[in-house]
Amino acid sequence: MDKDIKREAGRQYLRYFRFWFIAIGILILAVAVLGMLKRNAGSVPRTNSEAPAERVYDYADVLDDGEEEELRRYIAKAEEKLQIDIVLVTINQSVEGEEAMSKYGLRSRSWEQNMQDIADDFWDDNQFGYNRGFEGDGVLLMHNWYPGQNGEHLSTSGSVEREFSLGDIDSVLYAVDDYYDTDPCRAYKAYVDEVGRLMDSSLELPFSWGTVFILPVIIAAIYAVSGSSQNKARNTVAVNAYVAGGKPEIHDKTDELIRKNVVTRRIETSSSQSKGSRSSGGGGHHRSSSGASHGGGSHRH
Amino acid sequence: MPVELTGERVGSMGKKGNGKMFFRCKNCGGNVVYSPERHGMYCPFCESGESGERAEGQSGALTVCPNCGGEVPVQEHTSAAQCPYCDSYLIFNERVEGSYRPKMLIPFQLGKESCKRSIRDKFRSCLFAPTDFLSEARLNDMEGIYVPYWFYDYDTDCTFEGEGTKVRSWRSGNVEYTETSVYAVRRNMAISFEKIPVDASLQMPDEVMDLIAPFQYAQLTDFDPKYMSGFHGEKYNMTSDLVENRARGLMKEDAGKLLRESYAGYAGVKTVNENIRVKESRAEYGLLPVWKYLYRYKDQDYPFYVNGQTGKIVGTAPFSKTKFMVYVGTLWGCMTVLLALLQVLLGLL
Repeated sequence: MDKDIKREAGRQYLRYFRFWFIAIGILILAVAVLGMLKRNAGSVPRTNSEAPAERVYDYADVLDDGEEEELRRYIAKAEEKLQIDIVLVTINQSVEGEEAMSKYGLRSRSWEQNMQDIADDFWDDNQFGYNRGFEGDGVLLMHNWYPGQNGEHLSTSGSVEREFSLGDIDSVLYAVDDYYDTDPCRAYKAYVDEVGRLMDSSLELPFSWGTVFILPVIIAAIYAVSGSSQNKARNTVAVNAYVAGGKPEIHDKTDELIRKNVVTRRIETSSSQSKGSRSSGGGGHHRSSSGASHGGGSHRH
Repeated sequence: MPVELTGERVGSMGKKGNGKMFFRCKNCGGNVVYSPERHGMYCPFCESGESGERAEGQSGALTVCPNCGGEVPVQEHTSAAQCPYCDSYLIFNERVEGSYRPKMLIPFQLGKESCKRSIRDKFRSCLFAPTDFLSEARLNDMEGIYVPYWFYDYDTDCTFEGEGTKVRSWRSGNVEYTETSVYAVRRNMAISFEKIPVDASLQMPDEVMDLIAPFQYAQLTDFDPKYMSGFHGEKYNMTSDLVENRARGLMKEDAGKLLRESYAGYAGVKTVNENIRVKESRAEYGLLPVWKYLYRYKDQDYPFYVNGQTGKIVGTAPFSKTKFMVYVGTLWGCMTVLLALLQVLLGLL
């Protein structure tokens, strides 16, 4: 008898969860097939041969030779994976005010504008870009170490420009900001890492892993509560169920007014309306002096 | 606690006390029973209808089956029982005759199969009930019982005196007016209550019997022992005066509600005087049909009662902790795996 009950319990269990198990099986198969297809798709070879091989331009001389070499290797590895050019430029020059304008032929007095122009021009002049030399895929970080004008500008191009929002640009610059004053090499590695994290399209997850683990707990809790609840029997005997003819015989039904009183109250009214306004920022897209499209943003310390 | 009648106890029932009857098929000799589905007598062996003839068994003790001679478990108030050996349904004459003769009964309208379906339908959504709770084998143990009831009639005179308040508000410009009117409320009504049922069985829980109501009295019919063939039954365990307080309680509750309904519409009513006077009362004895399913799980009894006329079910399904853990755990696991796989799949696309 116990064996029969256990067998029946097993049958009920499988019957109850059969659709879940089938769905999981199908999904496992789909993930395996897609994973294999994605793996076999391979990487796209670099098609831009115009650009120099150098990626680390330490004009400000904040890195020693060992660090430069380490960064070159680090960037090369990331470029191969992400299929974009990643360039680092450090400078140590004034890019603000009249003197800088006349000395370097800059078009503006503004630090932000000039940092953007210099970075964009550096990219365009060297014809960087993974796939082509004009508006090719890649990113350039220009860090100015000039005293009083310390800050970075990130110039994006091609696929990176399309992919990066202003928030993403900020995120990269903040990654650099965290370490630049204590360990520049680590700061620039953080730049590469953050670009890599934001550009890694191999697995763009539609929802967070927190959702994956918390949502089932909530649903299981609801399921547990609803499955445990029972509709208890209620008293359904009508009040007149046992009354002959279904209703009483009324002999007297008197409602006699005894007294009445009226209370008045004055209502105070007031009205006020407030209007708020919100402003939204613009994008980081612009054209460089060579006419190429760039995105970007700056952080000044 | 019901007392099981022994051989010696039978003697105390008196000389005429050991008579039993059962309905035998004229065609095949099998035990003919009352079929709720067919609304008539039916032989389950040869499937002939209305072929039963009353067979009397006077010899032997009350507990001896007149058909096969087997020992039938008979308790103090049992008026109908089934022989565990030949499965014949026996009716004990002296417990359905004389002062124990019911004046009326409602025959079973719901057969065992319909009752099983009702129970399955009601408890199908109880996911964590034990596996065999709704199994055919367990549900087959269900018994149809004619439960003894006292039916009370009351002719009452109900009066009410009180103060009712009505409140009305309106607004004119920047002034809000609130008018409060107080009325003297007087009601007098005659209410005739008919057949307020109170079970007269010690083994049937009162609150369950109250919940299993109402019964439709249109199907009340004069008592005939043939309706008991195929079912278990009891004679009343208590006389009408012992259970009347319950009927009076129900009557007063309903009369009070009807009085309150008559002065509904007031924002508030203060009672000055309320009086429910019984002018005349009567009590009659009858039987009402109830199916009982007793499920035992982890040394605990879970009784279920089904109104044998309307199908209303009273009872709480048992809860299997193991099943709960396995099912909730599996659902959680499946959901997590499914979402994780979906996450990866959508990421790959």
